[in-house]
Amino acid sequence: MNRYEKAAGGAVALMLLAAGAIFLYAPGDYLHGPVQRIFYLHVSSAITAFGCFAVVLIGGIVYLRNESPSADRIARAGALVGVVFTTVTLVMGMLWAKPVWGAYWVWDARLTSTLVLWIIYAGYLLVRRLAEPGRQSARFAAVVGIFGFADVPVVYFSVSWWNTHHPGPLIINNALPPEMLATFLFTMLCTLVLAGVMIGVRYRIETLLDGRHGVTERAHVVASRRPEASPEPVP
Amino acid sequence: MTYLVLAYTFAVVVLGGYLVWSLRRLRELERPER
Repeated sequence: MNRYEKAAGGAVALMLLAAGAIFLYAPGDYLHGPVQRIFYLHVSSAITAFGCFAVVLIGGIVYLRNESPSADRIARAGALVGVVFTTVTLVMGMLWAKPVWGAYWVWDARLTSTLVLWIIYAGYLLVRRLAEPGRQSARFAAVVGIFGFADVPVVYFSVSWWNTHHPGPLIINNALPPEMLATFLFTMLCTLVLAGVMIGVRYRIETLLDGRHGVTERAHVVASRRPEASPEPVP
Repeated sequence: MTYLVLAYTFAVVVLGGYLVWSLRRLRELERPER
C-alpha cells in the first residue's frame, strides 16, 4: 500500500464518520423530513468544488507568471476534482428538489449558474484532453481557468442578487440549530480532506503522464527559451 | 426516504468510483515500463 492509498483510506474513514454524524447524530427536520439530510453533503460538495476551482485559478495565475508545469498540473487536477464535486452537488440537489419543489430542475439563477460552472470546467477538461500537451494548450487553459472562476461568485451570490427557488445562505444567517451546524461543519471538513487527497493523487498521475510526454520542468524551460516560442520572432 | 437513499448512493458511487479509478490508474502508471 503506497502513501496515496493510505491517505485515501484515511479520507474514506473520515467520510464514514461524517455519514455517522449525518444519519445518527443530526436531528431530523420537521418541515422537509428525512430528505433534508441531503443538505450536509450537497452544500459541502458545492463549497469543496469552489475550493477546487480556486486551485485552478491560482494554478493558472502562477503558470502564466512563470510557466511552471507543476502549476499547470495542479490546475488540471483541481479542475477534474472540481467537476466531480459539482456533479455530486447538481445531482444531489435535483434529488432533493423533486420531493420539495415537485420538479427535479427549475431554471433559477442558482441552478443555472451552477450548471454553467460545470460546463465551463468540463469544457476546460475536454480542451486539455483534445489539445496536444504543451506550452500553448497550457497557456490557453490557464486563461480559461482564470476567467471561468468569475462564475463562482455568481453562483454564490445568485440567491441574494435574484429571486430564486433555491434557499438563501443558512450558515451565514445562523439558521441552523447547533447539532445541525456541527454536523455540517464536520462533513465540510471531511469533504475538504477527501478533495485534497483526490487532488494529490491526480497531481501525481499528471506528473507521471507529463513525464511520458516529455513535459518536465527542465524541458519546459528549454522550450520557452527557443526563438520560435517567443511571440515576436527575432528577424 | 427514496430520494435520500438515491442521493447518497449516487454520491458514494461517484466519489468512491472516482477515488478507486484514480488509485488504480496511479498504480498502473507507477508500475515500471517493460
